Amino acid sequence: MPNLTINGHAVEVPPGTNLIEAARKIGVEIPHYCYHPGLSIAGQCRLCMVDIEKTPRPTIACNTPAVDGMVVLTETDRVKETRKSIMEFHLINHPLDCPVCDQAGECWLQIYYMQHGLYDPRMRDEKVHKPKAVPLGPHVMLDAERCILCSRCVRFCDEVTRTGELGIFDRGDHSEIGLFPGTELANKYSGNVVDICPVGALTDRDFRFAVRVWYLERATSICPGCARGCNIEVHVNRRRPHHNEGRRVARLKPRFNADVNRWWICDAGRYGFAFVDDKTRLLAPSRREDGAVSDATWEEAIGAVAGALRRFAPDEIGVVASPKMANEDLWALRRVLEQRGIRRVAFRVPPREPGDEDTVLIRGDKNPNSRGAELLGLDGDGAAILAAARARVVKCLWVFGHDLLQCAWDAAETDAALRAVPLLIFTGTNANATSERAHWVLPAATWVEREGTYTNFEGRVQRFRAAVEPLGQALPEWDILGRVLQALGVEVSAPRAERWFRELAGAVPVFAGLTYQSIGDGGAKLP
Amino acid sequence: MRGQDGTDAATRASTPVAFSVEQLAEVHRLQGLYPDRRAALLPVLHLAQETFGYVSLEVEAYVAALFDLTPAHVHEVVTFYTLFFRAPKGRHIVAVCHNLSCHLAGAPMIVAHLRRRLGIDVGETTDDGRVTLQSVECLCACEHAPMMQVDDRYEFGLTPEKVDRILEGLR
Repeated sequence: MPNLTINGHAVEVPPGTNLIEAARKIGVEIPHYCYHPGLSIAGQCRLCMVDIEKTPRPTIACNTPAVDGMVVLTETDRVKETRKSIMEFHLINHPLDCPVCDQAGECWLQIYYMQHGLYDPRMRDEKVHKPKAVPLGPHVMLDAERCILCSRCVRFCDEVTRTGELGIFDRGDHSEIGLFPGTELANKYSGNVVDICPVGALTDRDFRFAVRVWYLERATSICPGCARGCNIEVHVNRRRPHHNEGRRVARLKPRFNADVNRWWICDAGRYGFAFVDDKTRLLAPSRREDGAVSDATWEEAIGAVAGALRRFAPDEIGVVASPKMANEDLWALRRVLEQRGIRRVAFRVPPREPGDEDTVLIRGDKNPNSRGAELLGLDGDGAAILAAARARVVKCLWVFGHDLLQCAWDAAETDAALRAVPLLIFTGTNANATSERAHWVLPAATWVEREGTYTNFEGRVQRFRAAVEPLGQALPEWDILGRVLQALGVEVSAPRAERWFRELAGAVPVFAGLTYQSIGDGGAKLP
Repeated sequence: MRGQDGTDAATRASTPVAFSVEQLAEVHRLQGLYPDRRAALLPVLHLAQETFGYVSLEVEAYVAALFDLTPAHVHEVVTFYTLFFRAPKGRHIVAVCHNLSCHLAGAPMIVAHLRRRLGIDVGETTDDGRVTLQSVECLCACEHAPMMQVDDRYEFGLTPEKVDRILEGLR
C-alpha cells in the first residue's frame, strides 16, 4: 500500500487510489468538477491541480494515482493561483444568473468561487449565448449557458445506464452538451444527471422553482419503491409552506451506500413520492354504515377493530398485510395475530403487470419489505383468504394498503369476496377502491412521516427516519396495531418504533443482536 | 452551425442512406486497422460524405450503427470538425483564410467581394448550388496571403479581379 505525504500529513492508501481520494482520507478537500468516484476519469475541468514534489508544474489530482513516497502539496501559492485562473476560465461565459437559478445554494461554481476564485473579472467581450430552459426529457431541464462541460452527465449515460444519449457538440467556446436531435433523455435513471451536475446546467423539472434549497430540511431514509431499498435523503419544505403548492416533500435525493445503490437511484423511486401529499390521503379514521361514511375518533376505531377481533372466531378472521409495511409494523401485527390465535394471514398480492427489472438497481418486486414480511412468518396464501371470504368462512377481513381490486387476482372474484365479508377493515395511507368498500378505515402515516426499518431483497435491514409529521390524524401502523393490542388487554409500554424493533430483535433469531444504533445509516446485513 | 439540421427532411425521403457492399467491406477494413475500431470513425464519415453528399442526421445514425455507437457520439464528432458538411453543399467549396497573415493582407476585403459577387453570406450556398462560401482558419500558405482554397487547390495572392476570374471557372 502506497505511503504518501499530503500537506505534511502521512497517509496510506490502497494501490490505484487517486490523489483526490487520498487527500479526502485525511480531510483535505481538493476542489474539482469533472471527477466523480462513480465515473471514469475525464481530466476535463483542470481544477484539481496540486503540486507534487519533483514535478515541474501543477498536476491534476484526479488522474494521478498515489505512489509510495509521493509528497503532495494542495495549498501552495502556485496551486491557489492556478485554481483562481481556472475558475475565471470556467466563468468566462457563465451567465451569473444565480438569483433565478435553481442550483443556487448548492452550486459548486458559487462555492468554489468563494473559496478559490474571488478574482476581479477581466472579460470585456460579449458572452457566448446558448440554448436555455431546454427540456431534455421528462425530468431534466438544460441550461447550456451554465454548463462548464465537465461531462459527468455524458459519462453517466455512457457508463452507468449505457444508453449514451448525451454528447458534447460543436467546439471551443461554442461547445455545448445536448441530445442527438429528435431524441430525449428518458432512461430509467435520468434524474441522476441532475445530482451529479455540479452547476445549474441540469435541473430537475419536478423540483424546479418549487423551493429555494436553503429552506429545505433533510432526513435520511430508504426508498420504498422496490425491494432494493436504495438509500435516500428526503428533502422537505416546512419553513415556506406557501411555496411548492403545499407539497411538504420537495424532492428525494440518493444517499451513497456502497453496498446498495452507490450514488444512484432510479427515476421511479425519485419521483414516486407524490402520494405523500396528494388528495387521496386518508386523514381520519372513518366508518361506513349503510353506505354512509362518517369520521370517527381513534378510540372508536380501535375499539371497533379490537371488538371485532374478539367477537369473531380466529378462523373467521383473515389478514392481508403488506410488504410495504415496516418490520416494526409487521412485528406488531404478528403480536396481534398471536394474541388472538389468527392463522389466516398473507402479505403477497400479485400485481397485474410484473414489475420491470434491470441489472443496475431496479427490482421487479415493487415492495420495500417483502423479505422482512417473509422472515416474520406472514407468508400465507392470500388468494385462499379471499376464497374463504367468498365462501363466508372468513367474516372479518383486514387489508393493509393493498387495492385488492387492482391486482392480478380476478376482480369479479375479489369483488364477490369483499361483498360477502360482513366486516372489512382497511389500514393504509391513501384511499383506493378497496378502502372505499371498507367498514372501518384506519389512516396510516407514510414512510416519510415516521420511523422504521425495511429488510431489502438481500436481507439488509435499513432504517428510515421521520422527515415530517403525519398528515391529519394518520398514525404509523405499529402505533395503530399497538393500540389494538392494548385494547385486547396486552400492556404496551413506550409506544415508539424502536420499542417494536427491540422486541422483534429479541424474539426472531435472524434479527438477534440488531439495534437501531447498530443498523445506523448504512444498514446491517442479516446472517 | 446550429440550425442546419432542419434542412434534412426533404433529402431524407429521396435518398436511402446505405453503403454498397464494397463500401461496407471498406468500412470493415478501416475498422480493423485500429486497436479501437472507433478510430475509423473519421475515414468512414469522409466516405459517407463522399457517398451521400453531406452528413445528415440520418447518415450520422447510420454510421453510428456501423460502430455500435449511439448517434449522439457520432454527432459529437461531426459537429467538432468543420470539414463535415451537415447540410447540402455546393458543387464547389470556396474557403477563404481569415487568419492573421491573410487578414492583414486583405482577407476581409476578399470575403466582402465574394459575398457581393455570389450574393450569399459566409456559410451559405448559392441558390443554383454552384458555390458554398466559407471563411476558415490558417491553411499554411501565409507567404501567399491573402489566399483561399477552391475545392482541392490553393489560390494565392488574391485580388478582386483574380477572384472574379476564378469564379468564372467554376461551373
